Amino acid sequence: MRIFVRTIFDKTFTVTTYLVVLMIIALLVIILGPMLSRGLSAVIFKDTIEFRKMQFALFNRGVESRILQETKETNAFRQKIYQTIDKFKQGIDTEALTEKARKIYREFGQQLRYKELPPEQFTILRTQAKEIRDKLETAFASQDKSEIASCINNVLQYRDDQEFKDTATEGFFKLALEFKNSVEKTDLSKHYLYVKSLQELESLIIELLGPRPDEPLPSTAMNQFGSTRWDIAQRIRDKILWTEQWVEHKPNESLIKIKTLRAEQFAGTDIEPLFGYIKDNIEQILKPRAKFYWQYFIDDSTPGHYFGGVGPEILGTLLLTVISMLFAVPIGIIAAAYLTECSSENLIIKIIRMCINTLAGVPSIVFGLFGLSFFVLFFLPLLGFPSKPCILAASLTLAILTLPVMIRASEEAIRSVPETYKEASLALGAGKFKTFMKVTMPAALPGILTGIILSLSRVAGETAPVLFTGAVALGPMPSSIFHSTRTLSYGSYDMAVGDRIAMMVPHNQYGMVAVLVMLILCLNIMAIVVRSRMFRKLHGH
Amino acid sequence: MNNANLNQLPEATADARSQPLLLTYSQDIRGFLSFHIGRTALFIVTCTSVLSVLLIFSFIFIEALPFLTKFSLLEFLTSKAWYPEAQSPQFGSLALIVGSIYVTVTAMIFSVPVGIFAAIFLSDIVSFEIRNIVKPVIELLAAIPSVAYGFFAVMVMAPWMQQKLGFSTGVNALNASFVLAVMALPTIISVAEDSMSAAGRELREASYGLGATRVETMFKVVIPSAHSGIIAAVILGMMRAIGETMVVWMASGNASQIPYPWWDLSQSIRTMTATIAGDMGETAKGSNHYRALFTVGLLLLVMTLCLNIVSEYFLSRTAKKSGKSK
Repeated sequence: MRIFVRTIFDKTFTVTTYLVVLMIIALLVIILGPMLSRGLSAVIFKDTIEFRKMQFALFNRGVESRILQETKETNAFRQKIYQTIDKFKQGIDTEALTEKARKIYREFGQQLRYKELPPEQFTILRTQAKEIRDKLETAFASQDKSEIASCINNVLQYRDDQEFKDTATEGFFKLALEFKNSVEKTDLSKHYLYVKSLQELESLIIELLGPRPDEPLPSTAMNQFGSTRWDIAQRIRDKILWTEQWVEHKPNESLIKIKTLRAEQFAGTDIEPLFGYIKDNIEQILKPRAKFYWQYFIDDSTPGHYFGGVGPEILGTLLLTVISMLFAVPIGIIAAAYLTECSSENLIIKIIRMCINTLAGVPSIVFGLFGLSFFVLFFLPLLGFPSKPCILAASLTLAILTLPVMIRASEEAIRSVPETYKEASLALGAGKFKTFMKVTMPAALPGILTGIILSLSRVAGETAPVLFTGAVALGPMPSSIFHSTRTLSYGSYDMAVGDRIAMMVPHNQYGMVAVLVMLILCLNIMAIVVRSRMFRKLHGH
Repeated sequence: MNNANLNQLPEATADARSQPLLLTYSQDIRGFLSFHIGRTALFIVTCTSVLSVLLIFSFIFIEALPFLTKFSLLEFLTSKAWYPEAQSPQFGSLALIVGSIYVTVTAMIFSVPVGIFAAIFLSDIVSFEIRNIVKPVIELLAAIPSVAYGFFAVMVMAPWMQQKLGFSTGVNALNASFVLAVMALPTIISVAEDSMSAAGRELREASYGLGATRVETMFKVVIPSAHSGIIAAVILGMMRAIGETMVVWMASGNASQIPYPWWDLSQSIRTMTATIAGDMGETAKGSNHYRALFTVGLLLLVMTLCLNIVSEYFLSRTAKKSGKSK
């Protein structure tokens, strides 16, 4: 019985360890999976005509004649939406109507003045026009259909009057007729609701289609275009078709989401069929097409990363890593060579080793502080360069940060070269230096390479040390190493905690961090492959 | 190329043979000098790391010194009031220190059991081939940059916590600790596994020979024998967690407070690293606030240095032990 219990215990333990390791691997998948898959959607996605317009306008990419042709085609379908809304608005937007009526009245007054009529007639006409205007205003403000009808009829009685022919007052009658038509179909008690719903609808349609073709372009790039991506366009389409409301289902329970057709808000009006039209013709309106946006990796971006890619960030990251490696690699290899080949274990070496370990344990933010106080505020002015955060300062900070990684990896690689290699070389009469350069180094090279690759990946991913020494969230492409730069790591931070604009483009948020993670994963996988090949070579398999 | 070499070889040997074996004085001195100068040059380059450490300590200390002379260190360490930009600024970093320790300890509570189980799995349970596949996969966790972990915490964990767990805010101590725990795992696993593997076959075989099951062998023989390595692993994991900036900055909520009640992980906190990262951009160079941040950095540096020395001590004990058993 006791043995049985112990066996059960043992088996449970074994299973638990399996579960723990599976859990860790699952965590890796949970962390990387969404990041990479959603990041991929920044590069491979279905674009819309708006995307092609944006690419043409901002990056001068694409065939102009084709884009114009497509714009024409889509505008033909869009026109119906605009017309329907405008028509409906005439019965709804009473403020605008009143404004129009007043404008007509003023114009009529101007016209009368040029006609040189006898004063009595002038006064009569003027009074009549004023009466018409007032009647119309009452009609616009009224919510009672019979009152509106009587007002409009009153107005229309003047239509056949000879005096009003060919003057601005014709506008009155046109206005009156249109209003009459639209009022017949609308429920006036819902007037205020219509105004609100219409505003919402219009802003959604601007989000979907961009500004109207006949309107002036907004100044910021992000407002110049509609939905550039099909997935976002579909989301906005759903928002147009359905309204969402959070409703208290039962007291003391969390709210639940209820979806209703937006068409219900406009039941029985001219605008109701519009929703069916949008639903059926959305593809003609936006022309979605599969797109592989490889230029994401080289494109600059508009402020807030609303449009465009991560070109400057990639360039900045590469600059930082390469320059810091220029410092770290030679120093790291020489230090490793000295520690393995030239020294016996004495006190000085012990101190050096302790310093390397200490350096490896210094928190990355402290490296940032050090970079700021030493390189930016002390070292650069000492050499006569401007004392401001720049690529050089950041690279030097990163070089010191990665030095322990570099030294340890190189040391391990040099130590793993079999002693017999060196002994053979020494026996053939080569000096110590020659042996190291011609025998030890080539044999240790894959290991050193692994170290370099791992340091590269470490440097590329570090954010805290470059915060104060050379990274910025917004800025131009760096033109020399004395300028600050955007980097992938700082960009990822900025996008994640960033402003509202970044939240509107989740594909770009994930795209940025996915590029960083992919870069680092590729470097690491490369390191693993190099290491395993070296292992096989040294062990003669 | 090869041919040329072959042609030159006999000449060179003939030349060398005709030379007297005794070196001339100038050759002797030149050889002596080149050897020693080369060696010294290598030594100087090697000392870069020593120099870096010295520079780091001295520059952080120099920048922090005016603060230490102007304000009392005791107040800095014991006051909870961190109002650096107020009319009469107060620099009490207790809440920040507690915040750092709080997330670190919580992260360790998550990651130490998991890490030790995973280390046992790698060292004692699976075959060498599977281990060679699983280990690189776990090491990938260490490769993921901290800002990507922070991104995960903000974009995935925080909304999930808010919606599914009903926390008032998604960025809180639990979120930061959990992500820190994941980040510390690879360090803990790799160091603990090394020390367990170093515990030696004889110990395990003796235990199995006496009829112990695997779980008994592990917990009564291997882990006690590898305990110093495991302690070193935990300390190294702690160092990773306490020095981590981006994750805590993004995921901890940055509210300078000590959670009350103390076990309430759903509250926002603020750590030393996040304070430095967050405040440094807004301070004027040379102001009290700036100096105070360097003092926080110095404190952090001293803390990690102490942890480092302790871990070195435990690691050297394992090294000695395995040296003896060999």
